[in-house]
Amino acid sequence: MTVAAGVGYVLIALGPALSLLASVIAKKPFLILTLLSSTLFWLISLIILAGAWRAFLPVKSTELWPYSILILTSVGFQEGIRIGFWRLFKKMEDMLNAFADRVSKPRLFLTDKMLLALAGGLGHGLAHAVFFCLSLLTPAFGPATFYVDKCPSIPFFLISAIIALGFVIIHTFSMVIAFNGYTEGKRKDQIFVPFAHLIAALITLINLVPGGCNIGLPLLCIMAGTTLYYSWQLVWRRLTEHQTTRSSD
Amino acid sequence: MARVRVFLAVLFLLFTSSPVHGADNGSDSVLESVPDLEKAMYLNLKSYPCVRLLNLSGEIGCSNPGNDKISAPIVRLKSGTIRLARPSTVLLQEEQMRDFFLRVSGDLEFSKNVAGVLVEPSETVNMSSGFSPADKFPQSAFAPYSNTSYEWNLPGSGIMWNKYDFPVFLLAEESISTLKEIVGERNEASPENVAEFDLVMQTTKLGTHDSETCLKEQTCLPLGGYSVWSSLPPINISSTVTKPIVFAVASFDSASFFRDRSLGADSPISGLIALLTAVDALSHVNHLKNLKKQLVFAVLTGEAWGYLGSRQFLQELDLGSDSIRGLSSSMIEQIVEIGSVGQSLGKGGTLFYAHAGGESSGTKVILKALEDASESLGSDNVKVKKASSMNPGIPPSSLMAFLRKNTSASGIVLGDFDSAFSNKFYHSHLDNASNIKTSSVAAAAALVARALYIIANGDATLDLMALNDIKVNVSLVEELVGCLVTCEPGLSCELVGRYISPSNADCPSHYVGVFQDTPSASQKPSYVDDTSRFLWNFLADMTSATRDGTDSCTGDCSNVGDVCIGSETEGGGKCVISTTRYVPAYSTRLKYENNIWHVLPANPSDPMESVDPVWTESYWNTIGLRVYKVESPLYDRLVLAGGVFVTFASYLAVVIARTQLAKVVKRD
Repeated sequence: MTVAAGVGYVLIALGPALSLLASVIAKKPFLILTLLSSTLFWLISLIILAGAWRAFLPVKSTELWPYSILILTSVGFQEGIRIGFWRLFKKMEDMLNAFADRVSKPRLFLTDKMLLALAGGLGHGLAHAVFFCLSLLTPAFGPATFYVDKCPSIPFFLISAIIALGFVIIHTFSMVIAFNGYTEGKRKDQIFVPFAHLIAALITLINLVPGGCNIGLPLLCIMAGTTLYYSWQLVWRRLTEHQTTRSSD
Repeated sequence: MARVRVFLAVLFLLFTSSPVHGADNGSDSVLESVPDLEKAMYLNLKSYPCVRLLNLSGEIGCSNPGNDKISAPIVRLKSGTIRLARPSTVLLQEEQMRDFFLRVSGDLEFSKNVAGVLVEPSETVNMSSGFSPADKFPQSAFAPYSNTSYEWNLPGSGIMWNKYDFPVFLLAEESISTLKEIVGERNEASPENVAEFDLVMQTTKLGTHDSETCLKEQTCLPLGGYSVWSSLPPINISSTVTKPIVFAVASFDSASFFRDRSLGADSPISGLIALLTAVDALSHVNHLKNLKKQLVFAVLTGEAWGYLGSRQFLQELDLGSDSIRGLSSSMIEQIVEIGSVGQSLGKGGTLFYAHAGGESSGTKVILKALEDASESLGSDNVKVKKASSMNPGIPPSSLMAFLRKNTSASGIVLGDFDSAFSNKFYHSHLDNASNIKTSSVAAAAALVARALYIIANGDATLDLMALNDIKVNVSLVEELVGCLVTCEPGLSCELVGRYISPSNADCPSHYVGVFQDTPSASQKPSYVDDTSRFLWNFLADMTSATRDGTDSCTGDCSNVGDVCIGSETEGGGKCVISTTRYVPAYSTRLKYENNIWHVLPANPSDPMESVDPVWTESYWNTIGLRVYKVESPLYDRLVLAGGVFVTFASYLAVVIARTQLAKVVKRD
């Protein structure tokens, strides 16, 4: 579909990621480091999943339930190690605070911690986008286009880019919600993230049905919007509360 | 890392659950990698191209107009289309070919939007009036008579002799279903199905537009190949033959609009097969040495492109070169040419026509022999008749070259037609095995074998028992038809496998091809095509007197005058006594010097040289055809705009969010 379309697809998939990178992450070197390490961490998680499922692929079935098992186990695994990721994060936070104490500098602010969570989530989102969309995008720069039998109205690369966009947003802001949930011990936040991930992943099963992509894609975007909204509400509440507690000191 | 990507790509396919199914033949093949995806996007169609050929005055055939690939949306040609709206790939049915190409040559308004042509072969050939892209009088300039407007080939349209500045491809049968899937789909404006042609010809790239220039610039090669002759029984090569010669000839090259689809079943392979079978039948006769005349068989190539084989053969006879050692042109008394003989079945037996050319006393001998042979075949009911005197002369045949060279020669062309070809698909890709009947070919073989025996017997008393013992092996005819004119088994048949290992064990193609050797008249040329090599080995075997204690060989034989047959096969070859030679076939106006072909001026004493077009074929790099879908340029721009919008909108959102949050967090 030519270079113009190829660039367009990259921008659709990575637009918000690039914006966040440029305006928030790039300003603080430590966030860049966090982003890179997070990308690596989640890449490895995907590799482990791929290795574990290797023997069962490709799934030669036209029914949906084998795919749901795949999704359940993979989402479950990723959410499980998210807790491990958070523990690593806590350890790093303690180390940074200890260092700050030694050099008599201020400890991490709440905003810093939230930015770190954002960088971690963005790393997760980028890992997803690179492997599930960008690696397939090379043919999109050529003259031909491609349509899948089950979705004859939307070009394959466009579907791929939109799904990647949705998941970048979901992963990025899920991490913010999750970290806050684990820190504060709030059950509601802790449960929201795995459920959102699972529901979003299951929504993509709708694409397997002929013509399903016309429903699946908008639903995924709604899911991404929900996550974004939930995260915004949470951050706003937290920061206002925090300011109130601080000013009442 | 690549393997990981594959796993992850598969994982992706499952995570996001939009399984990508390949479009090949509607089967649900799951794509497992990016190369698989590309293969599903770009469909290579198996097809046969029409290529660029050049002569002394210009070009014919097809080529991309420039140095690049051409791609254009596929449009089916509907009857009554006046104009094409924009440059398109025209999809034709076979029946539409004739009218389309005639129109393209005349109507510039129409042809300027023809970017490329795809011809879809029809499952059932529905052309009762025939189809022939050749002229109505093929190679009329070589005729030994002046009536060149006589119509030998009634369905002839001459479309293969025109120049087209766009690529033309004939789709193979196996591509039809793929094409139907592609073109039969939704007819929305976008996405469109586009065909991409790679038919860039070297002569177009370098601007050499006729044979002389392109040979000098080395952007083309002359057409040519290797003819084969053999004598039965073998001649003692140390002395020139003293017996008069009966010369039996057939040609084995055909032509067609599409270079690699020239089967030429009726014209001329049926004649070739009849000749080979006759050689086999005669090889079982015991006392051939005692006959008054010597039998010599020749199979010539390049005849469709200016009688290259026969003219070069005659020139070598004049020069007395190595390749024709043992022959002398003055000793050739009778020439019997077997033309198209595959369609002579009519009501009540087979009927052939003898077209006589040259001096009448010589032709009378041949005619009498044919009649006697027909009589001897009695119950088989094979009849022969002299061709109508209303015909201006002999039909297009190698005999024309022999007569023009030496007007005192005499010969007969045997054919299944009288005043016009009965072959409705002369020099077209449709002249295939379904166009001939094995029994007709076998009948011609029997007739010719016996007639040759009678002629070679001369005025001695005829041994009727020996004559009636000459019988044709019908299963050999069937085998040869299977090997030379069908794709199954084609050249991978057992008979061919006995002598050579074919480089193209697929559908045989009888286009003469280009002459790639240096014509140093050696008997060990390097670039001989499969058919010529098979014929050489077959004739050598048939006409051989096997030596006792046959040596196995891979090239040369220890005894002078022996040849090694079957040297390419796995078991190695064997040495036999045989007089079988290759004779190069290329235009007599060409000379190879300093690694370049030079066009010589026409020899005034040879009237054929001035009408010889000197055909050459352009070089090319690759030839390919693929089909894929494209989006409209508007779509591409929309996607780019969408991506830019998403990026900027999210940037704006981030900035706004940051400002809002900064207000909340009042830092000291």
